[in-house]
Amino acid sequence: MPKPEPKLITFEIDGREVQAPEGQMLVDAAKMGDVEIPYFCYEAKLGQPVGACRMCLVEVEGIPKLQTSCSTPVKDGMVVNTKSDRVKQAQNAIVEFLLVNHPLDCPVCDKGGECPLQDISYGWGPGRSRFIEPKRHFEKPVALSPLVAIDRERCILCYRCVRFSQELSEDYQLVFLERADHTFVGTHDGHPYVAPFSGNIIELCPVGALTSQAYRFRARPWDIEDAGSICTLCPSQCNVKYTTRDDNKVVRVLARDNEDVDDGWLCDKGRFGYQAIHVPERVTRPMVRDGGELRPVSWERALSEAAGALARAGDRTAALVGGEATNEDGFLTQHLLRGVLDSPHVDSRTSGVLDPQQQAVLAQPDLTAKVSDIEWAGTVLVLDTELVDESPILDLRVRKGVRRNGLNVIVATSRPSTLDTNARALLRFAPGAGEALLAALAAAVSGQGDLEDLSGRAGTSAEILRGAAELLQEPGPVVVLWGERLSQGERGRQAVARLIDLARQLNLSGTEGAGLLEVPRGTNARGLREVGCVPALGPGLDTATRAGKSAGEIAASVPGEVSALLLVGADPLTTHPDRGMWERALDRATSVIAFADFVTEGLDEHADVVFPAESEAEKDGTMTHPDGRIQRVRQAIARPGEVRPQWSVLAELCERLGNPTGLLSGAMVSERVFESVPFYEGITLAEIGGKGVRWQERDGAARLPRVELPVGELEIPPRATAEGLRLGTGPSIWSNRVVEHSPLLRFLLPEQVVELSPEDGERLGLRTGDQVSVSVDGTSVSGRAFLRSDMPPGNVFLIEGTRTDNATALLNGKPRSIELLRAEETSPA
Amino acid sequence: MAVQEVRVLLDNIDEPGLNHIDTYERLGGYQAMRKALTEMEPDEVLAALENSGLRGRGGAGFSMGKKASFLPKGSMDKYLCCNADESEPGTFKDRLLMQKNPHRLIEGIIIAAIAAGANKAFIYIRGEYVLQADVLDAAVREAYDKGYLGQNILGSRNDVDLVVHRGAGAYICGEETALLDSLEGKRGNPRLKPPFPANQGLYNGPTLINNVETLNNVPLVIAKGVDWFKQFGTEQSTGTKVVSVSGNVQRPGNYEIALGIPARDLVYGLAGGPPPGRKIKCWFPGGSSAPVLLEEDLDRPYSFEAMAEAGSMLGSGAIIVVDDSVPIVSVALRLAQFYRHESCGKCVPCREGTNWTVKMLERIDTGDATPMDLEIMAQVQTNIIGNCLCVLGDSMAMPIGSMIEKFRDEFVEHIERAREAKDRLSVELGTYAEPADAVA
Repeated sequence: MPKPEPKLITFEIDGREVQAPEGQMLVDAAKMGDVEIPYFCYEAKLGQPVGACRMCLVEVEGIPKLQTSCSTPVKDGMVVNTKSDRVKQAQNAIVEFLLVNHPLDCPVCDKGGECPLQDISYGWGPGRSRFIEPKRHFEKPVALSPLVAIDRERCILCYRCVRFSQELSEDYQLVFLERADHTFVGTHDGHPYVAPFSGNIIELCPVGALTSQAYRFRARPWDIEDAGSICTLCPSQCNVKYTTRDDNKVVRVLARDNEDVDDGWLCDKGRFGYQAIHVPERVTRPMVRDGGELRPVSWERALSEAAGALARAGDRTAALVGGEATNEDGFLTQHLLRGVLDSPHVDSRTSGVLDPQQQAVLAQPDLTAKVSDIEWAGTVLVLDTELVDESPILDLRVRKGVRRNGLNVIVATSRPSTLDTNARALLRFAPGAGEALLAALAAAVSGQGDLEDLSGRAGTSAEILRGAAELLQEPGPVVVLWGERLSQGERGRQAVARLIDLARQLNLSGTEGAGLLEVPRGTNARGLREVGCVPALGPGLDTATRAGKSAGEIAASVPGEVSALLLVGADPLTTHPDRGMWERALDRATSVIAFADFVTEGLDEHADVVFPAESEAEKDGTMTHPDGRIQRVRQAIARPGEVRPQWSVLAELCERLGNPTGLLSGAMVSERVFESVPFYEGITLAEIGGKGVRWQERDGAARLPRVELPVGELEIPPRATAEGLRLGTGPSIWSNRVVEHSPLLRFLLPEQVVELSPEDGERLGLRTGDQVSVSVDGTSVSGRAFLRSDMPPGNVFLIEGTRTDNATALLNGKPRSIELLRAEETSPA
Repeated sequence: MAVQEVRVLLDNIDEPGLNHIDTYERLGGYQAMRKALTEMEPDEVLAALENSGLRGRGGAGFSMGKKASFLPKGSMDKYLCCNADESEPGTFKDRLLMQKNPHRLIEGIIIAAIAAGANKAFIYIRGEYVLQADVLDAAVREAYDKGYLGQNILGSRNDVDLVVHRGAGAYICGEETALLDSLEGKRGNPRLKPPFPANQGLYNGPTLINNVETLNNVPLVIAKGVDWFKQFGTEQSTGTKVVSVSGNVQRPGNYEIALGIPARDLVYGLAGGPPPGRKIKCWFPGGSSAPVLLEEDLDRPYSFEAMAEAGSMLGSGAIIVVDDSVPIVSVALRLAQFYRHESCGKCVPCREGTNWTVKMLERIDTGDATPMDLEIMAQVQTNIIGNCLCVLGDSMAMPIGSMIEKFRDEFVEHIERAREAKDRLSVELGTYAEPADAVA
């Protein structure tokens, strides 16, 4: 459905002429005339109003009964009265009714002081209570989940949390039980409400009924301040407010609504992950390996050891930049490598080699879709990515588009997706066969090429592909949400070529609201590439003077080629494929220098110098959203212990290596980044502000050379192996170090699960829950079997990034066939 | 005083085997459907229904033909739902019609569905009507076997599928939008209107919702014509009405009358009036949701317009008679308890207002109320009326409000008597305490 053009109309409210967009609900339109209408159940971002609380009743001329302004669209010439005696009487009545069963325990309520019910009672209530009967009672508080506590006595049954669960996140867990004044919020079977977005209900609750288990009783509203920033835990880059206390402690994270990024929602990792900032195991002092062990040392010692090691390694230094690094950290790292140490080996991707020409094409402004294009598109193709795990907030955006605007969704993934039920077409292809799938899809769209053969190569059927191709050709823009995984395999370059070819056939760059939107692995993947953290490209996607080694090549380098490894927030043993090779690479390196907030297994064993890294709430800098929106990461709390800004440590290393940067503040580094990336030209921190700015929408975008989409013969993709079981992997939203270190989130930390089809399970004599071992070429990991009825036979899926039995051990960038055995059989002991 | 019933809907009601299609057809059944399908265009059927003046028999009394004409034209999926969730206290007319004469309802549904362009129809029947639902299920099967339901009915290229769906015991599911939610498998809560079901009803498709008795009238209007139908009743209340009379009367039951006869003829003439020696204290003219009327109002014509003029409503056409043996406080409390129990809990004034009213009324009998509570109770009713999402809240507030207004003295007296009784008891038990203000 195309985005409607807002048309302004004029209406009268409380005697004032006001202009508002036609069709807007009165409750919102009233704000245009500085008129506040109280409400509880209404919430624009929840979609359709329910009209349950009746707080927003107003008088509309020509309609005999009072109307709920949350559900009355404003019309030209409408005359509205919100202050008549009739309206006041109704408002008084509703407040009085609401307080009939609401306990007046405000002094001990978390919401006290920031409570809509308090405010509205004060502003629109009768100011006295005539209710002298006993109030209703529930057991309280009870845990709705380990993250959310519920106080059912305080609940005013406004429907917000239930609607969120039913209509937004579509987990369908929260319901109303019982009826009349016995009604209460719960789950069908009394199970805990555990879902990726459950924490949003805390923020939606207009009273103190739903409270955060982490924040409960930690502060009163007058003890705290909010500091705006963005969440750096995944590429969604949701806008957040850190609620801080005493300038040194984050006590809560709230959404900071930005329609262009997150629509005002957060996932639970982003909402509760802040707990990992304040745990004792965090690294807050520099450390140096001394006597075989990492020991806390002075900054002077750590810096001089690191500078010494880097000086010795010189152009045999390689750097891996983790996805959570800011543009500034990334820029300075590549500067340290390329400009100071004369080494070209810097990469921010976990695997694959990025082709410079392709990168130039993918960066074209008219080929990039923006987040809000998703909901107004005609068709969205979700390609080789599980949004809820890899960019959770986009999962909600797709659901919104389907529910509200009739968006068509095609899910093209090897693993069954949570979006399957919303999809008009499902393309299940063999893991790693994205290239063949895209070739087949393009053939189905164009009617050229051997569709039967290509779909066979992808491990899917021509029939389904034709259906998907029809959807792609329906009216309305097409947005392709593609997972970076597609470009990371051994044939990543060919797969991206196919992606670009499909984009050309669908004319994505020539269609308003259409385009590609990458779902990368790292939070700031796009920004890091644009500031030069890829082996072949310098800042501004300029071809580097000397192409360096990619991450995989660094790991595979022969002794002597790479001697020092600089890990800027990167942890290759957790995130990079081929764990065994990385173990050998770390072993081989003469020195490993790392910025880290936690000492991981790899660092504990291999690091020579560890600099304490800032947490997400301590950083200052910028990041670039996958859709090109540059956003500010802003410091919310003081850095604990001896933590220093990462940029200043990198600058210090440059200086100690004889190449002073002249950078004295974070803002200066940002400025340097904007100067160095031509298409960021002229951007200032002030311009970015709180909502970010897409560089494609600025004049500076013209500084990126225009590239036409290539036309030409493409390679025939290889056939997906039909022998044995094919291995697919993907991260879980919970396989993240903050989940591991946040006391409340830890219960979500995933153990390895081996997902397979019931057919394969039966053939192998496996049942759900069995401990199994998965092996490739002598390397094996174990996990619990899970027989999924929607898993295509022949495919087996494992989780990447688990603490033990990490699936990355089995990967090497090629499609892999695995052997699956019940664990007892492999270890008879 | 020999008052005669006008048996039109109940014409062959006691014919053995009327619930079977053979008997129904032998007595002229399904002829109206044949006529509508073979001799009339859908628009003509709609026009006939509108011209007949047939008003909805479920409570709101809206013109049936007009309601059907609100459905948009076009090829989208449209639905017809027969509201058979007859749960209004005092109402038991649909039960009789469904149990005895299920095929006339089915015939009415087929005619109305085709006229409105709906090809999927449902009968949402209250869960407690087990026998009636079984009868309907059997009748629907018979109609399918005869080809009156299903594809290409009578070769007319019209399809109608009919499903009997049993409710699970909630009064609110008789509210049309809650009925739709329940039918969709959701919690039966009323929806916000607009959108109205005619535009966005079941599964978001245009939906016509009619009461059982309304649909029973449809074959009659089609078979016998508009003029024949309009000979019964008044100008604004055409046709006959099956009235359920209950409460303190000697011959409770269903009586079919031409609308507009004096209510007294119904209550006294047909139902035999209150037991000997008793006087009528008040009566509900249209189910328990209607504001109560007094003895003298019995001389008014029993029609939609006259009952509205008297400050009440004809509603579902169920008269509940209360005689002078019953304290008005008991009537109010029983009523309030019902609505509190049945409130869905979605909107605030209904959920909290019904609960509060019950608690106040309960305090009257225990001697814990004062006349001031009566004022609060009256204001609570005012605060409910017109402020709710659906009419359930009003359904309690209107009759209770009318009782307080019309029987204020009895309420006050009841309150005082209960207080005195409580004081006496506490003196006997030795727990009596002077009121604080009296001591000071």
